[in-house]
Amino acid sequence: MSMATFTVPTVTNAASNKEDLVEKVTVQNLDFFYGDHRALKNINVSLYHGKVTAFIGPSGCGKSTLLRILNRMYDLYPNQRATGTVRLDNDDILAPSQDLNLLRAKVGMVFQKPTPFPMTIYENIAFGIRLYENLPKSELDGRVQQALQRAALWEEVKDKLGANGLSLSGGQQQRLCIARTVAVRPEVILFDEPCSALDPISTAKIEELIDELKEDYTIAIVTHNMQQAARVSDFTAFMYLGELVEYGDTTRMFTTPSDRRTQDYITGRFG
Amino acid sequence: MTSSRRRRVADVALQSGVVEVAEKVDRAKVLQRLRVGDIAFRHTTRAAAVTVLVILSGIIFSLVYGSLPALQKFGFNFLIEESWNPVTEHFGAIAPIYGTIVTSIIAMIIAVPVGLFIALFLTELCPMWLRRPIGIAIELLAGIPSIIYGIWGLFVFAPFLQQHVQPFLITVFGHVPVLSTLFEGPPYGIGVLTAGLILAIMVLPFITSISRDVFDAVPPMLKESAYGLGCTTWEVARYVVLPFTRVGVIGGVMLALGRALGETMAVTFVIGNAHRISGSILAPGTTISATIANEFTEAVGDIYTSSLIALGLILFVITFIVLACARLMLMRLNARLGQ
Amino acid sequence: MAVMISGASSPLYAARRRKNGITMTLAYLATGFGLIWLALILAVLFYEGFSGLSLKVFTEMTPPPGAAGGLLNPIIGSLVMTFIAVLIGTPLGILAGTYLAEYGRYDKLSTVVRFINDILLSAPSIVIGLFIYEIMVATMGHFSGWAGSVALAVIVVPVVVRTTEDMLTLVPDTLREAAASIGLPRSLMIRKVAYRAARAGMITGVLLAIARISGETAPLLFTALNNQFWSTNMNAPVSSLPVVIFQFALSPYKDWQNLAWTGALIITLAVLALSITARFLGSQSKKS
Repeated sequence: MSMATFTVPTVTNAASNKEDLVEKVTVQNLDFFYGDHRALKNINVSLYHGKVTAFIGPSGCGKSTLLRILNRMYDLYPNQRATGTVRLDNDDILAPSQDLNLLRAKVGMVFQKPTPFPMTIYENIAFGIRLYENLPKSELDGRVQQALQRAALWEEVKDKLGANGLSLSGGQQQRLCIARTVAVRPEVILFDEPCSALDPISTAKIEELIDELKEDYTIAIVTHNMQQAARVSDFTAFMYLGELVEYGDTTRMFTTPSDRRTQDYITGRFG
Repeated sequence: MTSSRRRRVADVALQSGVVEVAEKVDRAKVLQRLRVGDIAFRHTTRAAAVTVLVILSGIIFSLVYGSLPALQKFGFNFLIEESWNPVTEHFGAIAPIYGTIVTSIIAMIIAVPVGLFIALFLTELCPMWLRRPIGIAIELLAGIPSIIYGIWGLFVFAPFLQQHVQPFLITVFGHVPVLSTLFEGPPYGIGVLTAGLILAIMVLPFITSISRDVFDAVPPMLKESAYGLGCTTWEVARYVVLPFTRVGVIGGVMLALGRALGETMAVTFVIGNAHRISGSILAPGTTISATIANEFTEAVGDIYTSSLIALGLILFVITFIVLACARLMLMRLNARLGQ
Repeated sequence: MAVMISGASSPLYAARRRKNGITMTLAYLATGFGLIWLALILAVLFYEGFSGLSLKVFTEMTPPPGAAGGLLNPIIGSLVMTFIAVLIGTPLGILAGTYLAEYGRYDKLSTVVRFINDILLSAPSIVIGLFIYEIMVATMGHFSGWAGSVALAVIVVPVVVRTTEDMLTLVPDTLREAAASIGLPRSLMIRKVAYRAARAGMITGVLLAIARISGETAPLLFTALNNQFWSTNMNAPVSSLPVVIFQFALSPYKDWQNLAWTGALIITLAVLALSITARFLGSQSKKS
């Protein structure tokens, strides 16, 4: 882990020591505004297929904001805009012509609090599938089962698929949401502090799940918890006051951070 | 992680990978189909929202249009003349306007302090277990249709006032200067005072429930810090809760006033329908809404009908102004609480 | 500490306590005063109304003066007109409320519509009667059940708009984001997710609207008018419970007055039942 060239957080540096990294999402010169307030300043970062990238930093540093740009979630609200370039493969995410529903089907998201829809467990999953595909019942059942298995929830709910999604425990609800996301077959999955409302055991399950999912997806996770970032991610980006301070291999970031601010944050001097 | 689980995950991943390729094109197609419905739904809701504005414009336009003949014939005099004569077709609106305002004033004089005290009771004094039932009872009182108040007023309340309350008022105030005019004449039972009292009972629940909601919105910390200084309950209410919620309370009071001004059935039964202005509140009178309710279906001739619609227009303008002020004040309070 | 103790027994403190005692007593009295009216009105209503309540009320037509009869035609008339009013007003109100809460939450149009809607919510209902008279009765040349229904629908709309908007606003944004995150188009998100989450509250709104119009008299007086006889023709005058109560209560005939009381009791019971159901549903929806 001797990478002296990591002082400048650029895409090429991060990738330089890995072979065959496939860039899935590329962010270049990204600025973001809430009204007149510039919340993100000139962000450059890449997400790689099959890898987990963690975004850490103190509250209000813009890490969730960055995540919500990748699926244009900010479009739901007025007076918010992004400038710069964000690419998913070769597709310009920020282009005005971008079909948001199509984009979001490709870039799934799991939220801070579990957000099961007010319907049955089965419907929670089947709902998203049915949206785009007209499947016979048996095939749909199969897809629901697949998704629930993928989210390691199947064994716990297979006998009560007709129960309301809200009747599950917090950890189960969060896995239901992951299953729902997976069922739509996205290419990228964004986790926005997915464990902050969960107990340690549920947290461990979700982390294990992220580890399993990463083989097939590109994953980004925002977290407050540095141990979590260290446990689940391959790359880590440290953000502070709307800037991307440092970005690189997770092990390196936590052992030999090159920026003073990263070091201070990791060692618990602020944040 | 067991190896079997690993494999299962890999299987699933493989399957999903295969299907995905064929599916991508479909998604765009499906969305294309959904988009039409999406846009249609959006525009339908927008049209529905605009309908609300259309209703308001429709009300204003139809009232203005309907009252044109009367307004053209009488001009400004319509607003200040007392005579209301269907035979000579000479109409003036001042008597009903006067009755509307006086009954509403009587109602507010009684209902505002009582309503505020009940709200104070509910938020500060009432034991927790009793709050919900009393709150519900007050709101049920607000839900009773006004015709019930009317029939009750006519058969129960008016005779009671005539036999017990009004003779008492006449004896007590009959010789006091100024007040003697207010309580002049025989006890009819029905009349301006009775209508005002019924209105008071009717708007009491509105004032109570709005004030209670507004009082409840005071941050507990604010009240606790006053109690922490050693303030009594009354002092907290008077110097912390009331000033903090003043705008909201005034808004609530004006909302109730808007209701009182436009109330029809509760008043029509007990006002006496007399088109004259009397100094005595024991005398029969009329209000705008009572006049319309009593006379509209029997009105013969364009001018008579048009005069009644003109009364409706006046009522709408008055209540619109009062209600608009009420809403603006409640919005101001909400803006403050939202900060 | 010494200062505090002397403060507690000072004349100033005594005066403050006395003032507090007086105002607190007033608060108790005011509450008692307010509740007494509810009790009195309901007591009289039950006393007068129950004596006339019999099967005949629901099976016979309104009688001519001085004869016995029932309230069948006004009851049916009220039910039919209320039903049609809800049928017209509810979709309109729900759609408009949806626009305010979802699509146009932040835009100018919504601010104006919200404001106007709140005014319509408390606008004098007799003015709405005049409005419908002008656009329907005067143009068609005759009173009709349709006109009555439309007048009631105009009262339903603002109630439903308001509750729909309030209930949809209570649906957390995270749920909307979650729906968007699986690629759900906005309209489907609203119809399949937001409506479902707000369903109980929206039904509450419709029930409150029904409660509100079931006792409305003023807007029917010169739209639906009244009808002494059995009539299912919505294109002709239709009898309704509130209008019959109004006419019978003001008549000099004892039989009619008794029927008016009975009708008043029926309306009140219906309205109370609706309000209580609505309240129950409302509290359920807050819990989940």
